[in-house]
Amino acid sequence: MPIELIVLLSMLATFAVGIFVLKLPAGVALAFGSVVGALVAGYGVPVRHLVEGSFGFLEPILIIAAAMVFMKVIEATGALGTISHAMVTSLYRWPSLLMILVALFIMFPGMLTGLSSACILTTGAMVAPALVAMGMPRYAAGAFVAMSAVYGEIAPPINIPVMIVGAGVDMPYIGFEIPLLLASVPLAIVTAMYFRIRFIRKIRIDEVIAKLPEPVFKKHGWKLFVPIIVVVGLMTGIRVSPAWIPDIGVPLIFVIGTLSAFGTGERIELLSLSRKAIRAATPILAILVGVGMFVQIMTLTGVRGFIAVSALQLPEAYLYLGVALILPAFGSAYTAVSVLGVPLVYAFLGQNEIVVTSAICLIASLGDLMPPPMLLTVFAGQLVEEKNYFRILRGNIVPVILAIIVGIAMLIFADQVRSLY
Amino acid sequence: MIESHRIRAILFLVVAAVGATIAALEFRRMHELEKIVPGPGVTTVGRLSDYLPNLRDTNGDTPVFFLEGSEEGETVLVLGGTHANEPAGFVAAVVLIENVTVSRGRLIVIPQANRSGFTCTDPLEGYPQRFSISTGSGERWFRFGSRGANPLDHWPDPLVYLHQPSGQRLSGVETRNLNRSYPGRPDGSFTERIGYAIMQLIEQENVRVAFDFHEASPEIPIVNALVTHEKGKDIAAAAILNLELENLEFALEFSPPNFRGLSHREWGDRTDVYPFLMESSNPIQGRLRGPTSAELLLGGVDLRYRRAKEVGKIRITYHSDGEPLDRRVGRHLQSLRAVLDAYAEEFPERSILLGNLPNHDEIVAQGVGVFLK
Repeated sequence: MPIELIVLLSMLATFAVGIFVLKLPAGVALAFGSVVGALVAGYGVPVRHLVEGSFGFLEPILIIAAAMVFMKVIEATGALGTISHAMVTSLYRWPSLLMILVALFIMFPGMLTGLSSACILTTGAMVAPALVAMGMPRYAAGAFVAMSAVYGEIAPPINIPVMIVGAGVDMPYIGFEIPLLLASVPLAIVTAMYFRIRFIRKIRIDEVIAKLPEPVFKKHGWKLFVPIIVVVGLMTGIRVSPAWIPDIGVPLIFVIGTLSAFGTGERIELLSLSRKAIRAATPILAILVGVGMFVQIMTLTGVRGFIAVSALQLPEAYLYLGVALILPAFGSAYTAVSVLGVPLVYAFLGQNEIVVTSAICLIASLGDLMPPPMLLTVFAGQLVEEKNYFRILRGNIVPVILAIIVGIAMLIFADQVRSLY
Repeated sequence: MIESHRIRAILFLVVAAVGATIAALEFRRMHELEKIVPGPGVTTVGRLSDYLPNLRDTNGDTPVFFLEGSEEGETVLVLGGTHANEPAGFVAAVVLIENVTVSRGRLIVIPQANRSGFTCTDPLEGYPQRFSISTGSGERWFRFGSRGANPLDHWPDPLVYLHQPSGQRLSGVETRNLNRSYPGRPDGSFTERIGYAIMQLIEQENVRVAFDFHEASPEIPIVNALVTHEKGKDIAAAAILNLELENLEFALEFSPPNFRGLSHREWGDRTDVYPFLMESSNPIQGRLRGPTSAELLLGGVDLRYRRAKEVGKIRITYHSDGEPLDRRVGRHLQSLRAVLDAYAEEFPERSILLGNLPNHDEIVAQGVGVFLK
């Protein structure tokens, strides 16, 4: 058995024992798994590598922390309930249209920032109460929000995984709009219809409204939406007019949006809300720290290369199956494309590389739903107050399989897809 | 009586503090400077900030070595360390500084073009911080850094890097990549200012031929290539023919016109310079590599790459005996010689004459350490 496989198994076993036997938080279990992996590989306890790895996802950690505070604050202003209320009362007669528009609405921040977590923490949070009030089981509402967030990450104009692959193969981010649109919007519509048909029958508006928080628009007027306008405005402005609006970074955008909540007219207890938000976010932030250590030790010990070469060794017929299974199994779109994105683009050389890259990134983005981090799934669980995160993941089995089928079809028929536009 | 969860919290904080202290000491080591000994040909040592004063006292400032000949001739620029995780370019530049003499023309060498990149390693990559080479004066250590500038010098990364002035969009991390920053801006980001200063040096020093030494993962198609702007194609083609006669294979690649920010594109478009970029195959940069260590960096032996080449799914540039640093440095210096010879054939009246430039076979046979002081 190759030493890298022994190291990998020891890391995974330690992680599993930490979670299921010792009942440790996932982030801590990942850190222990990393230490054991280094010990088994003969590196001792490489403190510098563990600390360096923990900084691997610093930017997402800052974004999530800032966005969680923002979400708590706009929830406290009453804006979330008001938006849910308005959405349902204006579109309840057309549930299919409502669900499609909700999916596109959730996707919007991801399209602008390339971050799936931004979708859940902003627009996802706005629509989640309405979905639950409309009769969707909590797990299904969470699954729908999480899946739409994945499509938000894929949809143009901004797709970070594609840019990461592009940086590795010296491919400029040009000409990706249509393939990324094809890889996201039709799937989002089909997913919306899937959840509509399975979980939403006739919407009884009186019952739905009774379950939603009281709208406070009449009390505060448009200033209620100032934080949302500030955040969406800054995100849009940076993309549309980069010459005029400097890119101040997503965390700072959320901080400015949070501070602007003082202008909504609602009393905001920022310190208390921030503590609640950070307390809720800490397990996820710890997972990102732990995943960073895990990846660093995998790279240091050669496990990362072992996985990548093993994937390339799959027989031709199984390569597509390998892509379908291995890319999401990384548990993070960014990690998957960083490790396997470039080799896979070369493995499919000869086909249209723009369509191939888009397809690879579509499949890799599903990793954001998967364990061990389960980032989007955990966020969605917190949003809809569903404690069993695996139930949310199970709720997405059909959409995930559908997305994988579309991704593989795009890989196989990349040239034909290119000829469509 | 302290509650048990508080004891756990205190223990956790103590462990974290100890770990952070140990790591901090190791991170600080990255700011120690390695020795670069000016050789007999070095006439002046300047600074990059001489071309853009706002770089002074920053980690973007870096030494510029001038090797001036007694006869008038062409001015040639060599950049190593554009990416601090590509050591063959850096070491090749140091070999030039410590050995070469110039009888005609002028050679300017910047061994650590993005010096900030030498002060950190890339998270998640498991890179070593240093590597050592045996020399006549004992072991000499060199830093192995990151592809981009240190985030402490240039932060935060935007989600999307918008290259100026083209408006081309790239991954946000590329904002710290010197070889995506050209032509740079005097009041731009940290990395853009380094790019701008190098452009200023090229113009003010009247540079006519410029080299940017790089390395790349074995799976990248431009490995072992000589990349040039379209105006350098005849010189590059002649150089590659000469290299083939010396049993060194190089592919000729042209700078993509729609890919902005690269040295060979922007130097070529915006100045009178003939730009050339060399790439050697460096397994430690690759995604398929096995264990990451200084030995891999120096010896270039990696079983995973060997296996990936045997599988044959993708093109891998990897010798069965590895890709040692000696060979990678030798290829850089041999291709530099070939390009300068081809340039001299094209423009005999404007040539540069170098002495004591070790060739590929000498470096491979004796080891690069023999050519370091």
